[in-house]
Amino acid sequence: MSAGSSRLVWDGIRLATELGAQGRRFRADPRCLTGERVRAFAHVCALADEEARLPFDQPEVQQVRRDALAWWIPLLGESLVCLTTLAVDSVDYGGAITVATDHAYFDSDPFARIFPGTVIETDLFAFVLPPPGPIEERKAGVAWPGGTFQ
Amino acid sequence: MTAAALVPGAVFPDLVLPDHTGRQRSLVEIAGGDPVAVFTSRGWWCPKEQRYLRQLVALQDEFEVAYAKLVVVSTDPPEVQSAFRAGLGARFTFLSDAERTWIERLGLLETTDTVHRPYRPAGYTLFPDLTIHAAYNGYWSFGRATNEELRQDMRTISASIRTDWELVG
Repeated sequence: MSAGSSRLVWDGIRLATELGAQGRRFRADPRCLTGERVRAFAHVCALADEEARLPFDQPEVQQVRRDALAWWIPLLGESLVCLTTLAVDSVDYGGAITVATDHAYFDSDPFARIFPGTVIETDLFAFVLPPPGPIEERKAGVAWPGGTFQ
Repeated sequence: MTAAALVPGAVFPDLVLPDHTGRQRSLVEIAGGDPVAVFTSRGWWCPKEQRYLRQLVALQDEFEVAYAKLVVVSTDPPEVQSAFRAGLGARFTFLSDAERTWIERLGLLETTDTVHRPYRPAGYTLFPDLTIHAAYNGYWSFGRATNEELRQDMRTISASIRTDWELVG
């Protein structure tokens, strides 16, 4: 994987970043895959089925991001490593991943309202400061909360 | 620095403080290239602050879809801010100056309250580089920025920083 890559592959059991990995391809917030990795738990709220997608503009997808800012991130507290949505393309949302050093609260994950969650242990992700908002993805097509107009 | 120095055209200090979850944040990092409205607040206990922050909560949907940020600074500790924020239904960032790192440096200590020694209510609309567009002295409630004034400020700032504000073609 090259620095700044945002590619993640999910087969329903395993997350991978290697070229040639089998499974469904997503784009994640590249900051989550850059920097010093930590051993943690990932709650992958996504399906390997290519049909499991919704437009980012769909109200449900907007609302889970509001919930993430309002209470999901504070609930996780210091255990939060990072979170990212999984972009299928510049229009469609394919799921989200929350990474934390403690999986005790994953049953409350608002992103699981859209696609069900699977807990895995992983060392693919790095600490990223949680977003201060907005809930909208950027025009650049980088998966929320990544991207900037700068 | 005094509050008198925080005027349009001056640069607001890049405050580095813990947020409502206890993580160190800086204003520039929170701005992330977007306009910001920063408010200093007496704290959760003040009924005037409760009312004003509910007003900001009513505005947060608009800020979110317009790529602008709201930030509240008070001397409440992060855990108190987190509870207050949850009670308000706010999704924006609170910064905690419980250690009183900035309150006197900014010249925003409310000297008339010798019990809480809180921040004086004030508001600043900022460009992404923290240049001040407008300053509001909210010691008296009618001095505080209305939501309409904040919309107008954000419109002016956004129009000047978004290169595609006027779409061509």
